[in-house]
Amino acid sequence: MNPGIKKNWIKKMLIIAAILLVAGVGFIWYLFSEKFDDTAKVKAEYSVPAAQLIQEFKTNLAEANKRYTEKIVAVTGRVTGIESADTTINIKMTDTTSGSYIIFAFQSQDMNTVKQIKEGDSISLKGSCSGGEYSNILEAHFINFKRCTIN
Amino acid sequence: MKKTIVLLAFACGGLAVFAQKKTTTSATVSFDATTPLDALPKAENKTVIAAIDAKAGTVMFEALVKSFGFSNPMMQEHFNSPKWFDSEKNPKASFSGTITNPADVNFAKDGVYKAKIAGALTLKGITNDVNTDATIEVKGNMLSTTATFTVKLEDYKISNAGGKLAAEPTITVVADLK
Repeated sequence: MNPGIKKNWIKKMLIIAAILLVAGVGFIWYLFSEKFDDTAKVKAEYSVPAAQLIQEFKTNLAEANKRYTEKIVAVTGRVTGIESADTTINIKMTDTTSGSYIIFAFQSQDMNTVKQIKEGDSISLKGSCSGGEYSNILEAHFINFKRCTIN
Repeated sequence: MKKTIVLLAFACGGLAVFAQKKTTTSATVSFDATTPLDALPKAENKTVIAAIDAKAGTVMFEALVKSFGFSNPMMQEHFNSPKWFDSEKNPKASFSGTITNPADVNFAKDGVYKAKIAGALTLKGITNDVNTDATIEVKGNMLSTTATFTVKLEDYKISNAGGKLAAEPTITVVADLK
């Protein structure tokens, strides 16, 4: 190979390697520093009334978990309980006949808005559904949401 | 006689109140497996079910593994993956224990008590014994409890990723029960 061409080839390879290295480091940095988006800016994949969501989990737990878990879901319903958890506030929507419930934990930036909500209010909110299970302690189904915001 | 009946009625009323099982659906459980190499494996679950039966001296918790929220999406995915807690196969974590020094905790009188709790913690479908100290504050009809303990990841067949994760993460439980 002509020494000039060889030198040129090595130079090109070094440039490609440097670009790949920078891209790789950038990608890893992105993965480690990435944060969840503000839920208010994320479009809900499903919109469902609270009573219907509870019914779906009670009727077919596996199917409902498959459909809603780790998805942003908008829920409308009446607030049946407000519970403090350490420094945060959770909102509950309970099916009073069975005791099964949905509980919503909020994003920290939404705390001031959540404080305005009262028991009995009809509200719409959205958040990341963590799925549902049957509680052996409460003998009822429960559905958890995290990173919620008022819709 | 009348006075005795009134006193008895009060005593029975008190017993009825304190015999109740206290519960919450908003206990907070924090998981901290951070090391100097990695500050990301830290999460909080704010929707844990907890129950204390004052009469039986039992303590119970139930948590959805997927409700542990991390700030970093990749870390949350790792936490739920089969290598870690395998939340797809084992969606619930649970604890069931008893207060081993019931004489030191007076549920009928306001105050702050140091309780010793022994029980079984099930994570990833594996159950191991856990012993921890807890603080129980009795305030009227409410119980506020806090407990901090560590678990060994290897007891639950979870690798600590060559030292990136703490081999014994700290679990902190905070619950207000009524």
